[in-house]
Amino acid sequence: MNYTEKTKLIQTRAAALLEAGEVSYVLGWGATRFADKTRARFARSPEEAATLVYNEHCTQSLAKYLVDDRWPETRIAILARGCESRAINRMIRDNQIRRENLLILGLPCEGTDAERCRSCRAHDPVVYDELLWEPNSTGAAAAAELSRYYRADAVDALSAAEKKAYWDDVYARCIRCYACRNACPVCSCRECFVDMHRTGFQGKRHSATDNQTFGVTRAFHVGDRCIECGECERACPMGLPILAQTQKILKEIEALAGDYEQGLDAAQDNYLGAFDLDDKDDFM
Amino acid sequence: MGINEATTYEPKILAFCCNWCTYTGADLAGLNRMKYPANVRVVRVPCSGRVNPQFILRAFARGADGVMVCGCHPGDCHYTTGNYFTRRRFMLMKKVLEFNGIEPQRFHARWISGSEAAKFRDAVTEVAQVVKALGPAATKVTTQASSKAPASADIESSVQKEGAL
Repeated sequence: MNYTEKTKLIQTRAAALLEAGEVSYVLGWGATRFADKTRARFARSPEEAATLVYNEHCTQSLAKYLVDDRWPETRIAILARGCESRAINRMIRDNQIRRENLLILGLPCEGTDAERCRSCRAHDPVVYDELLWEPNSTGAAAAAELSRYYRADAVDALSAAEKKAYWDDVYARCIRCYACRNACPVCSCRECFVDMHRTGFQGKRHSATDNQTFGVTRAFHVGDRCIECGECERACPMGLPILAQTQKILKEIEALAGDYEQGLDAAQDNYLGAFDLDDKDDFM
Repeated sequence: MGINEATTYEPKILAFCCNWCTYTGADLAGLNRMKYPANVRVVRVPCSGRVNPQFILRAFARGADGVMVCGCHPGDCHYTTGNYFTRRRFMLMKKVLEFNGIEPQRFHARWISGSEAAKFRDAVTEVAQVVKALGPAATKVTTQASSKAPASADIESSVQKEGAL
C-alpha cells in the first residue's frame, strides 16, 4: 500500500469519526508550503479531515500535544505509529493523560526519512484502538539498519580527550532554547528547573559548560523513561546530536540491569524510580 | 588564577555527606584528631538520596575539581530506602560523566557509616591524591574580571578561551 492510499484511508476514517461526533478532533499531519515537510494538524471537521496527509516526511511525533489537552470534552483521536504509541504508554504511566480520553488510530510505520527512524525497533504501534492497515510482516528489530544506540556508540568510540572536545563543540553551539525539553513527550514537570531563574540551578550566561549542565541534566531527568522517539533531536534548531545523551543512559541501564525498553506497556516502572536490593555498586 | 596556583595547586573537593552516617563519621574523625587533607568541603545533606545529579554538574561548573557523595551503607539508611536510589543514580551518573568528557576519577561515591571515622579519613585522602594528580578540572566556567580593564594579553587569551568554549 502506498502513501496516497494510506492518506486516503486516514482521511476517510477521520471524516467518519468527526461526522459521528465521536471525537472532538483528529490529531494528525498536514501539508506545509514545503514539499518535503509536514506539520501537526488538528482536524476539527469532516472538511478539515480531507487536509490530513501521511507520507515519509511525517517526522514529527504527535504525542506531546496530548498534554496540552488533558481534559477534553469528547475523546481525541490521534494517529499513532510506534513512537507515538510508546510515548502514550509512558505518559499514561506518568499520569499525564488518560487512556479513556483517547481514540488511538494505529499506523504501522515503515520509517520516515529521518535518520533516527533507521534505528527504530518499534515500527508497529504497541497500543491502539484500531489499526488502519496491516502491521509490518517483518520483525521491527530485524528491519533496523542502525544499531539501537548509534549516536552513543559513536561518542563512546572516542578517547576521553576527544569526548571532551566533541561535547565542547556541540554545547558551544547550543543556544539553550529548550526546544528539546518542550518537544520531549516524557518531560512532564509543571515547572522546569531551567525556568526557576532565582534559584539559580544553572548559569544564565552562554558558556559551553553551562549549556552542557543543562543538556546532561535534561537527559538525566528523562533518560530512564526515554522512549527513543528522537523528538529532542528533531526539535533542535542547531541540529545537535543530543539523542546521544539519552541513548547513553539507556545503554548503561541495559548494561546494569539487562533488557530495558520503555513504553511497551502502561505499567512499566522507570529504572531510577525503583531499586533492587541486589543492585551493583562496584565503585562505592 | 592566583600567583602561586601553578606551583602549589590544591584541588577543591566537594563532599556531600549524609547527616546520619558520613557526617557523623566525619565528626568522629575530628573528635579523634585524625588528620586528613583540608581540600575537602563538606556539605551536609539529610540523605545521600537528596543529592541531585545536577549538584555534581553544578559543582564542576563552579570550580570544584572533585566531588564525593557519601552515605550510609545499603540497608542502614535512616529513611530505609534512600541510599538504594542513590546507588542506582550514581552508578549511572558516573558513566554519564565519563561520556561527557569529565574524568570519572573526579567523581567518587562511598558508603561510610557513623563509626567509620578512619574510612572517611582514608577516602578523603585517596580522593585528594587522585584529584591532585589529575590537576584542575577543565569544566569550570571562566569568568572575566569586570571591575578593571584586563591587559591586552589577557584579552587575547580570553578571546581564545571563548572561542575554545
